[in-house]
Amino acid sequence: MTFELLLQSMIIGLSLGSTYILMALGLTLMFGMMHIINFTHGAVYMLGAFVIYYGFGQWGLPYGVTFFLAMLLLGIFGFVIERCIYRPVHGGVEATLVALIAMTTLIQSLGYPIFGTLDKHVPTVFHGMYAILGVGISAERLMIIPVAVVLVVGLYLFINKTKMGAAMRAIEQDKEAAALQGVNVHLVNAMAFGVGFALAAASGALMAPIFKLDPMMGEQPLLKAFIIIILGGLGSVPGAILGGLILGQIDSIVATVLGLEPAFLLSFVFIILLLLFKPTGLFGHEV
Amino acid sequence: MKSNMRTPVVLVAILLALLVFITVGGNYYAHLLALVFTNVILASSLRLSILCGQLNIGHSAFMSVGAYTSALLAKNLGLPFELSLLSGALLAMLVGLVMGYPSLRLRGVYFAMVTVAFVEAIRLIVQIWVSLTRGMSGLSGIPKPSLFGMLLATKTEQCYLALGLMVVVLLVLYKLEYSRLGLIWKSIGMADNLALSLGVNVASYKLLAFALGCFFAGIAGAFYAHFVRFLFPPTFDFLMATNILVYNYVGGRGHFWGPIVGAAFLSWLPEVFRGSEATRQYETIFFSITMLLTILFLPGGLITLPSKLADLFRRRPVGVAEPGSAAVTSG
Repeated sequence: MTFELLLQSMIIGLSLGSTYILMALGLTLMFGMMHIINFTHGAVYMLGAFVIYYGFGQWGLPYGVTFFLAMLLLGIFGFVIERCIYRPVHGGVEATLVALIAMTTLIQSLGYPIFGTLDKHVPTVFHGMYAILGVGISAERLMIIPVAVVLVVGLYLFINKTKMGAAMRAIEQDKEAAALQGVNVHLVNAMAFGVGFALAAASGALMAPIFKLDPMMGEQPLLKAFIIIILGGLGSVPGAILGGLILGQIDSIVATVLGLEPAFLLSFVFIILLLLFKPTGLFGHEV
Repeated sequence: MKSNMRTPVVLVAILLALLVFITVGGNYYAHLLALVFTNVILASSLRLSILCGQLNIGHSAFMSVGAYTSALLAKNLGLPFELSLLSGALLAMLVGLVMGYPSLRLRGVYFAMVTVAFVEAIRLIVQIWVSLTRGMSGLSGIPKPSLFGMLLATKTEQCYLALGLMVVVLLVLYKLEYSRLGLIWKSIGMADNLALSLGVNVASYKLLAFALGCFFAGIAGAFYAHFVRFLFPPTFDFLMATNILVYNYVGGRGHFWGPIVGAAFLSWLPEVFRGSEATRQYETIFFSITMLLTILFLPGGLITLPSKLADLFRRRPVGVAEPGSAAVTSG
């Protein structure tokens, strides 16, 4: 492997990792607060990409506007899911899980009659190549990185500097105590769903011009996000970021050297081994 | 007591009805029923983990191990069906032991997510190991099942075999659940810390339940391999694993009969939509809506539906045990 190829793989890994992080942040946030694994996240990623397909690709809206539209619409969808699925099940971990799986298959199977069975493509948004240290990287992949950084910093400020963020952290520490202090737990949970879904939609919207679109496209990113949050420690935001960066590099470099499937397999083996020695992940704490 | 006699009579009646149905139903229904029986074995074998309170979303991995092992042994080494089935199940159990040992230290959602990793890891190994499994080209030419040297050539004969396998597996699982061992598993499921403090070796019992579940999933997989006679890695994916879990929840995870009802109902349901090309795409939609409605409005699963309906008609307060269902479940 030459230096150029390695550098190119690392930059692509960074851009891949950025979209993984956007997926994983919502999952880890929701896990920290509600102790649920949100299986619907992959379907939301898919919906985010399809908003771009229709808004930008078909109706000719500007990409930026469609991007915000995707985040907004699916953020609202998050509120709806909290109200209609999470709340009626009364927080039963397993029942919520099965209900969310059901919701996921429902969205995916509705996708075929609505979007059609053929693969969809979104036209290129950012044209051209950039040369970094003599290595060519497509603008498409490079632009993902700053967008993801802005969203991650935005989430950090939201969690740490706003009242709603403080309420989220309070629920994460102790739900009952937070409720006794007057925190509206339902509203804040719904907010976590909304924020998580908006980030997943952003991830899908960023990837839409790069990959082909079909109703099942969210499954792989969902599994990646699972690996990341196990790696980083369930419920940990810094863990999700570090995990995403690591997995992005594994996926890009190992895939370049050995091929896609071995890279994917390696990440699962890595997780099983990690759990042997440190079951709570890199940043996790005992639950 | 009258109710003690009623259960076996009902079961024998159902069994006879199934036998008659297989005999007169022709190839189409024989094929369908055999797959329903396979799903019942899978769903019920997952119940062992559920008894211990372990949320396992990785069962299709072990079905895959059983299927590929049995298919390859029969095809490449010409092993008789009985032996290849047993080897498939044993290897599935062995893989279950190796993977279960480290991961069963984890609890709840952590464990659930590792089992997701199992499914993908096994699927990818099968996919990458092309020289053995033919990878994504799919493994074909698997011999038909035979029993004591007698080839089961028709779908109807193979369906009898599936029924037989299901009955044997269910009998074993029933005996297990209502034995001392089953009691220990249930105690772990309810309060593992308490069980631990009372001297129960929680880790070993969890591993035993998990490995036995893998063994029966291996049996289901092995039968599937010789019945469908074509194996393709993505068949045993995450979606199938979630389906096995969903059978338990939709049927009712609090009862031995829950996964059986759930698997039978949900595997049969899509048939309604098989009629024409136009309705086929609504199959999964209907499937997931049923799933969702059951979780939201029948938290105990379909198995609690008769008593709920009875409550509704008698205008009794909900929650009073219905004598009929209690007789079935208390064993």
